[in-house]
Amino acid sequence: MMQFYLAYQPIIDFFLLSVGFGYSQQIALRAGVFSIATAGFAALGSYCVAILATKTGIPIFLTVILGTALAAAVGGVLALPLARLRGAFQAIATLAFVQIILSLLLYGEGFTGGALGIVGIPREVNTWILLAVVAVTMYVLWNIGRSGMGRVFNALRQEESVASSLGVNIGKYHIIAFILSGALGGLFGGLQSLYTFQIEPHNYGFAFIVNILTVVILGGRTTLLGPIMGALIMALLPEIARPLAENRQAVNGVILILVITFLPNGVGDEIVFWFRRRKQARQQQKRASEKEARDAVSTS
Amino acid sequence: MPSLHLDNVAKHFGGLKAVDEVTMEVRPGEITGLIGPNGAGKSTVVNMISGVLALTEGDITVDGVSLATDRADVVARKGVARTFQNIRLLPEATVLENVLIGFHRREEASILSQLLGLPSARRDTQRFEEKAWDLLRRFRMEDYAEYEAGNLAYGHQRRVEMMRAIAAEPDIVLLDEPVAGMNDVESDELATIFRELAESGMALLLIEHNVGFVTRLCKQVYVLDSGRMIASGSPETVTSDPQVIAAYIGTSGH
Repeated sequence: MMQFYLAYQPIIDFFLLSVGFGYSQQIALRAGVFSIATAGFAALGSYCVAILATKTGIPIFLTVILGTALAAAVGGVLALPLARLRGAFQAIATLAFVQIILSLLLYGEGFTGGALGIVGIPREVNTWILLAVVAVTMYVLWNIGRSGMGRVFNALRQEESVASSLGVNIGKYHIIAFILSGALGGLFGGLQSLYTFQIEPHNYGFAFIVNILTVVILGGRTTLLGPIMGALIMALLPEIARPLAENRQAVNGVILILVITFLPNGVGDEIVFWFRRRKQARQQQKRASEKEARDAVSTS
Repeated sequence: MPSLHLDNVAKHFGGLKAVDEVTMEVRPGEITGLIGPNGAGKSTVVNMISGVLALTEGDITVDGVSLATDRADVVARKGVARTFQNIRLLPEATVLENVLIGFHRREEASILSQLLGLPSARRDTQRFEEKAWDLLRRFRMEDYAEYEAGNLAYGHQRRVEMMRAIAAEPDIVLLDEPVAGMNDVESDELATIFRELAESGMALLLIEHNVGFVTRLCKQVYVLDSGRMIASGSPETVTSDPQVIAAYIGTSGH
């Protein structure tokens, strides 16, 4: 067990961080918000923690809380100008937001270290901490799923006009979705900077955006299992495809196309849906046989 | 129980007067009919009442409180619910989940207690589920509770919409062609439910172009043609009105 852990530790850690970022991306998509701002939130959290941890003496856990709060607050504010945008327009606007954050990090050299980033961040985060934070995150998301907020998010994603005809304040719930997405992005960004020793703006660029979107699209947009399956595939794929060396990217692409074509809801969501359908079919069968029994009694 | 008033309401799209000078009252405990041929402006009236479309002129009030400038969700929270002419369900959600969202404005738990899964959030969900099952039984839909709403037959989808609209016990319900595409048995079942709802004190506005269904159910009927109110009164007076007959059958003899 220990040997397994040591050999695969970097992959496990990468997996856990991807799950966290995946949830940040997912909560927005789930509420019908086509935001790809997670990269920006992650950068904010990550830099906030890195700067506070290297330049001040405040306790590490406090830096993470501040980083999370900063990204959440920025998320809430970002929701306001984007309130009227939907779909592709929302995606482009949030992409612009990420660009703004990245250029601020690049040009704020005195503060952020510019293109070289920040080095010497204390390595305070390990697999167990990541695991614990992912578990707490899942618990909160599970609560959302079973509460009125989860119902509202599902309604907004599927048919906005219905939600508003039933009294849902769309703007308010989009703000909540952005705040939650910001908080999760900032939280895991902060953890990442306390894990990697060094960060630079480049870490949160286009590759990051594509990776996190892939996690959610491969895994699933609505279930807790979604980002886990997505991140698992993204973490294991390079290992499995190692012999293919430079063709790895091509294999990634092919797998993505196959999943989108044949499992459009994502691997994780499809698994959950399959179990749900099976349960429904059983209940149906049970009801049918009960009815048959009743009919048999009444005719005899 | 409050009633709904439309006072000289108009909706103009540029030079086109889709609805003009419409005045009507929807009283509690009654089913009020709004009929008219296709394109008469019936759905425009519903969309103005429910806050989807802004008024060009006039005022809409519930018990003296104006709804005229409210957003759709604010109108809903003031107790005015609606169904849609083209059925709008949450297609991926089950029938039960579709009904549950109808309880939204009765939610009491705060955002924070929902995030933390506190008892108040769980109580909300439990309370709504119990009431949702009552509704499912009343509409004889309990066998379909776990079905994805998008896969249901047309008549059943209509019922899901209806359950969702009345879940939060609104004062006023706007029913936009609720029996379109249903057979006689199905529409009779719904007629019974509409009567029960009215008897419980709700004010129902029934929008239809099927005159027969409306005359059987309504005490007061308004007739809209080309955006204008051409007649109003009891079903008998309205259906014998020459203008109404002309609007429905046409005057050029085809």
